[in-house]
Amino acid sequence: MTPQMLILATLIVPLVGAAIAAVSRSTKAARGIALVAVLVNLALTAWLVLPVIPELIARAPVPTDAEPLSFSPLHTLKFDLLPFASEPGKPSPALQFYVGLDGLNVWLVLLTSFLMVPAVLVSWTAIEDRGAEFYAWLLALAMPMLGVFYAFDSILFYVFFELTLVPLYFMIGIWGGPMRRDAARKFFLFTLAGGVIALLGLIGITIAVRNRTGELTFAIPRLIELVQQHLRAGDPTTMAYWKQAQWLVFLALTAGFAVKVPLFPVHTWLPLAHVEAPTAGSVLLAGVLLKLGTYGFLRIAIPLCPDAALAVGAPLLCTLACIGIVYGALCAFAQQDVKKLVAYSSVSHMGFCVLGLFALNSAGINGGLLQMVNHGLSTGGLFLLVGMLYERYHTRMIPDYSGMAARLKVLSVFMVFICLSSVGMPGLNGFVGEMLILAGAWSVQAPGVSGAWLASVVCVGIFLGGWYLFTMLKRVFFGPLHEPHHDHHAPPVADLNARELCALVPIAIACIVLGLWPQPIIDSARRDVNTVVKICDGARDRAAVVKGE
Amino acid sequence: MDASIATLQSAFRQGAPEAVLILTAFVVFLGGAFRPGKLVWGFVCLLGFVGALLVVLWHPFDLSKCVPTVSVLWTDPLCHYTRIVAIVGGVVLLLASWDELPHTQAADYFACLLILTAGVGLVGAANELVTMFLALELISIPTYVMLYLPRTGRPAQEAAVKYFLLSIFSSALLLFGFSYLYGVTGTTNIAAIHEAFARREVTMLPGLVMAGSLFVVAGLGFRITAVPFHFYAPDVYQGTGNGPAALLAFIPKVAGFVAFIRLLGFTGPGPVLSAIEVGVEMPLLLWILAAITMTIGNVLAVWQDDVKRMLAYSGVAHSGYMLLGLAVNPYLADKANGGVPAILFYLIAYGAMTVGAFAVLQALSTDNRAVSRNDDLAGLAETHPGLAMALALFLFSMIGLPLTAGFAGKFQLFVGVLSTTAPAESQMFRWLALIAAVNAAIGAFYYLRLIGIMYLRTAIRPLPGRAGLTGVLALAACVGFTVWLGVYPAAVVKFTRNAGQAAYPVHHLAGRP
Repeated sequence: MTPQMLILATLIVPLVGAAIAAVSRSTKAARGIALVAVLVNLALTAWLVLPVIPELIARAPVPTDAEPLSFSPLHTLKFDLLPFASEPGKPSPALQFYVGLDGLNVWLVLLTSFLMVPAVLVSWTAIEDRGAEFYAWLLALAMPMLGVFYAFDSILFYVFFELTLVPLYFMIGIWGGPMRRDAARKFFLFTLAGGVIALLGLIGITIAVRNRTGELTFAIPRLIELVQQHLRAGDPTTMAYWKQAQWLVFLALTAGFAVKVPLFPVHTWLPLAHVEAPTAGSVLLAGVLLKLGTYGFLRIAIPLCPDAALAVGAPLLCTLACIGIVYGALCAFAQQDVKKLVAYSSVSHMGFCVLGLFALNSAGINGGLLQMVNHGLSTGGLFLLVGMLYERYHTRMIPDYSGMAARLKVLSVFMVFICLSSVGMPGLNGFVGEMLILAGAWSVQAPGVSGAWLASVVCVGIFLGGWYLFTMLKRVFFGPLHEPHHDHHAPPVADLNARELCALVPIAIACIVLGLWPQPIIDSARRDVNTVVKICDGARDRAAVVKGE
Repeated sequence: MDASIATLQSAFRQGAPEAVLILTAFVVFLGGAFRPGKLVWGFVCLLGFVGALLVVLWHPFDLSKCVPTVSVLWTDPLCHYTRIVAIVGGVVLLLASWDELPHTQAADYFACLLILTAGVGLVGAANELVTMFLALELISIPTYVMLYLPRTGRPAQEAAVKYFLLSIFSSALLLFGFSYLYGVTGTTNIAAIHEAFARREVTMLPGLVMAGSLFVVAGLGFRITAVPFHFYAPDVYQGTGNGPAALLAFIPKVAGFVAFIRLLGFTGPGPVLSAIEVGVEMPLLLWILAAITMTIGNVLAVWQDDVKRMLAYSGVAHSGYMLLGLAVNPYLADKANGGVPAILFYLIAYGAMTVGAFAVLQALSTDNRAVSRNDDLAGLAETHPGLAMALALFLFSMIGLPLTAGFAGKFQLFVGVLSTTAPAESQMFRWLALIAAVNAAIGAFYYLRLIGIMYLRTAIRPLPGRAGLTGVLALAACVGFTVWLGVYPAAVVKFTRNAGQAAYPVHHLAGRP
């Protein structure tokens, strides 16, 4: 199987699994099918990704001046979906199905397939009602999630970006908590509203490029290349044009991605959606879907609009990210509901990611990229554990619990472990990402942004992160044993079973491996991160020239 | 002169597909009077449609010898498109309304449907103001009959009367506008009118041209349910059956937009854009019309608790989206992407999803229980999973989610709106694009509410209805189009692009007598 076929296979296998699960008669059959499908998908993804990683590492670390300054995905596959009219003699432009792999998406693809397995395992007994449908939607969610990361066509990216809404809407709306309908609706509408405006931005940049170069293309690498060619030529009249185009496009894209991340004023859908979603939905929402926003910034918004990212993106988004970090942490501290606490911790942690990306330097972007993977693992793990606790006692209220470490020893060990990973204990995965983001924030060079301030907010955020998570640990797992009220005729509540261990152990192992050895991620993404950094440096030089005049 | 005479003589040959449809309609009308029956006349009607389609596909008329400023009909690619859409739409509408029709009235209904389809085809072919007006009336008059046919209850009668009066009123406005255009240019031939505009013969009378254009926009605005000519739609859709409502939602919009495209000279035998050059206010008028149509349509749809009323307002909103294409078309340097071709694509997408939604309601309704309240659909996913899935698909398509026809359509319209190059206009149209995007988000609210009712709630009173064979066929066609246009739109995009381009550039007019 060629990598291209494997890419297609990883997109098709979940859909086929979903179709079979949908028509299966019982929940039992459906969950078996789902497990097989996600395992096959994980195997295919590993088969696809593992040989590619050495290839990615082997690339030259920085694109030379002779090469186009843009992403250069490997193993691409493209064919036309919606052709556009062209002048006679010229090749017909088209909206393409254009997928491939590079250093930025390869780990996120692996993370997505990886998290699908615990998502199925944790739903094993939690979902009884309409099980066939549930597993069908769960599997159907995998396809667009993978697709967003694979996509190298801007509209294809949007297509997958929006398609993630439908399965999760049904998962939250049907199998969620008491306020599930509101939560599902709010989630859908917030993301859609942002997404449609982002679509205008995606079309807008294509048109802006077309108006100047005469070339109509939706391919992200080609768009970046064309924009860079013009920006580097540095003709003053064109610069005014590009500046305005970049501003508009950047703001439109930000509208879409900021909702998805979510950044401070538009984050309100997230706690509701997380609390109401079934555990599998929360795991994938926190683990993968929030990354679509930061990934969108990294893949599209920053490289396509570097000047706007520097002039407006850095001050605006860094400020919002800082507010989000502190505000999310304080909200998390105030929560009585464990799941809500984890949800707000996501707001705080995704703020770190955005801050890292918009530091617009090598350390920051590397940190942001690492933190995407780390947050997926640790917050995914936290939601799994909260879900397992809830399944045992049917309450998530912190005051209902006390001293659970005595009753649920293994669960507590995992909880403490994942919390440590989440707060960034050295040796575990969170540490590397947070330190890189801190370094990036220190050395930020953008107008209107002070590195020292950003770094201090990051420090405060890390501290607050430890505070609320350890307070939660203390109140729930330590102290005198007090079990929530539950049916006393039932057998005593048991510790984690083999199935739950199967869901948690791989995540824990991944946390340790990435904590001790994050180098493969950084190495494989080096060229692409350096490309983005070089693009940003160009923008910085241009800004300096303007200022000098 | 010979060329002119030959052109005039060719009118009958150019109108052959419509002749087939109308002859079939006569047979059905006459036969139905003696021997009522649904199956036999439905079959004859289908044969008529197939016959007309065969004539359209295998009997292309060669226009190269025709003189555009003389010709009554102009069977260019736009006409070809209109005929195919009308005939395919007619077949789907026939299947969709099949189960609803009483045995005794079926023949009359079918015959009216045939005539109306012929009317749409003629609108696409019309190259004369008079022909255009007659073609539009050929759509309206059978519609009155179809609305009156069931004669059940007061709401149906009210709907019919309301539609009748407002339709007559709009026809009068249209005719009045046509008379101004005739008065200004001295001809009723559309190509000749545009040519007169192009030669600036009429620049002395911009006020009259503007007044005439205004009346024409008002008259056609009624057909496409543009705000403020949309008032009748919710009441009429609610009062009438699902079949006629689907028809009213779809057919007049096709005719209205094609007539707009022809009259504004966006494509056709005349010089492109001439009318716009005379009245610069025209694109501004269309800009405003687009903005208020989609906004009012969407905002009012939010408050509806009746599916048919909601679909009426959603139709208003979708007309607003299509008006984007009309408003921006004069400013497009590259008219093949966005603008008119995008409208033509969106018309097909809109038809598939709207007719499909009505077909679902039709399948759920029985003689004693008409399903139309939002709450009737509660828990539909459990009681009727197939129908719920179909309706959810149509609603997602109306939202404009990817992989559905609605997305491919909106995408092309957005590309058009953002493609203007002149600085002043691009500023204006960027705002319009933003308004459209906000509207798409508002639209998502009420479409999603219906999906939520179907999937996230449990049934209150389970619905007895089951889709019959014809209903299933109609639904399958609508689902097929919605998915096909969404997943792999290339073929249809080529078709609409070909239809939307100005097929006969200005120099053809040189051979004019």
